[in-house]
Amino acid sequence: MRLAFVLGEIGSGLRRNLSMVVSVILVTFVSLTFVGAAGLLQMQITQMKGYWYDKVQVAVFLCSDNSSSPNCAAGPVTDEQKKNIESLLSSPAIKQYVNSSNYESQADALKHFKEQFANSPIVDSVSADQLPSSFRINMVNPEKYQIINESFSSVPGVDSVVDQRQLLEKLFSVMNGASVVAVGIAALMVVCAVLLIATTIRLSAFSRRRETGIMRLVGASKAVIQLPFVLEGVIAAVIGAVLASTTLWLVAKFFVEDNLAQQYRDTAFISANQALLVAPVLILLGILLAGVSSLLTLRKYLKV
Amino acid sequence: MIRFDNVTKIYDSKGRPALDSISLEIDRGEFAFLVGASGSGKSTFLRLVLKEDRATRGAVYVAGQNVANISSWRVPKMRRGIGVVFQDFRLLPQKTVFANVAFAMQVIGKSRGIIRETVPEVLKTVGLEGKENRMPHELSGGEQQRVAIARAVVNRPGILLADEPTGNLDPTTSLGIMKVLDKINQNGTTVVMATHDDDIVNSMRKRVIELRNGVIVRDEAKALYTSMIPVVSSAQKHDDGPRVSEVGSANEAEGNK
Repeated sequence: MRLAFVLGEIGSGLRRNLSMVVSVILVTFVSLTFVGAAGLLQMQITQMKGYWYDKVQVAVFLCSDNSSSPNCAAGPVTDEQKKNIESLLSSPAIKQYVNSSNYESQADALKHFKEQFANSPIVDSVSADQLPSSFRINMVNPEKYQIINESFSSVPGVDSVVDQRQLLEKLFSVMNGASVVAVGIAALMVVCAVLLIATTIRLSAFSRRRETGIMRLVGASKAVIQLPFVLEGVIAAVIGAVLASTTLWLVAKFFVEDNLAQQYRDTAFISANQALLVAPVLILLGILLAGVSSLLTLRKYLKV
Repeated sequence: MIRFDNVTKIYDSKGRPALDSISLEIDRGEFAFLVGASGSGKSTFLRLVLKEDRATRGAVYVAGQNVANISSWRVPKMRRGIGVVFQDFRLLPQKTVFANVAFAMQVIGKSRGIIRETVPEVLKTVGLEGKENRMPHELSGGEQQRVAIARAVVNRPGILLADEPTGNLDPTTSLGIMKVLDKINQNGTTVVMATHDDDIVNSMRKRVIELRNGVIVRDEAKALYTSMIPVVSSAQKHDDGPRVSEVGSANEAEGNK
């Protein structure tokens, strides 16, 4: 009976305050979408890190005809220098940091280049001797890149040592920046949502002050009086959270999974299922936001 | 049923206390009028009984319990033992007569069956049988007040507080309301009614507690609205009530020095 009564109260409250309830739904929807987007971006970064860091290597580029560094003043790398580098790689001091290494000749480099830029006209104007040969080193711990750099950069015949991870770091820092922006917007919207929920509850409490006054007088418990208001806010916020989750899932499914992932097959993208993992977090967050802000408001505007 | 023990209530520390060291006792089943001009402390008295306010000093006992010791989560339970009626009825305009009375039972979790059984009974007690499905605006003022009384007593409280229940009604209608309150009182409910309707007080001949500026100036059984004992001087005025307790009069004398 009491449950039915509380549910009836919620229903009438939602109907009476429809426009405010809709605005609460929209604001929580937008704010939680941004929160979720930031979460998905972070997931994407972790995913890419895991995927690329396995593959990405430190490249020791050797001198070619086109090299301009002072180390290459003597001209292209000689076989002797190459052997020297190879033996340095297998020396115990370096070997402990190296997982595996292989030599990429100029011909190999051209092949990889052609694969990578298959659709670009630049392929036709590039020849093998324009590309440097290199040693590709896969490290046990990629963080120890500096050791390779110090050991090889001044060895004769070495043009430069490049940590390819750093190229990715740039991409990741852009993505991190984007997620920081998303979190910032989300925080702002969350503040809006909290204030709006507070205002809605306040209005709702005001428009039903007759009922609550009578409830108080006849000895209704605090829970029976306050629960309809709290649940009103929570229901609106949950609807907003569900909308946000759906939107994120749609984006992950149709934009990322069916579009980006098809175009860039060699990159790991998050899947739509992972977007579903964000949903419970968003819903919980919505409940928490609405619950806390309405309880605080009621303490002030609904004396029991 | 209700006992005030040296109760003082101060709203504004600079001003005069709303109630000044009041002591009195209203027994179970009693009918008492609380009379006095506006601002004499009648409403404050009722608010203290309901624990809407805290006494600044002294203790208020309701049904043997010091209300100051009732924790906030048990206040609702305490209020279930007290029915309240106001001058302005306070009905829910979009609910029928039946729904208005049933509301008081719904919010404390009574079952549908009990509600359907009890509400018509109570409506009969207040003389509203056959009007269950009317809306409040279709009723006269007196009928609306009867609905409010029905709502106040539907949970069978031991105490009924009425704050100027006839303040908005004409004399004939008021008399009808008083008959209802008398009937409720005869069923064993303690009734405390704040009023300044002298006709009603005179016709009922019940206990009259007169407040003036926050002190009890008269407490008589079977009394009239105005004192039957002539007032000699303002200094003696506070001692003329035969039912003023010893403590109360001593304190009032002290307060007037």
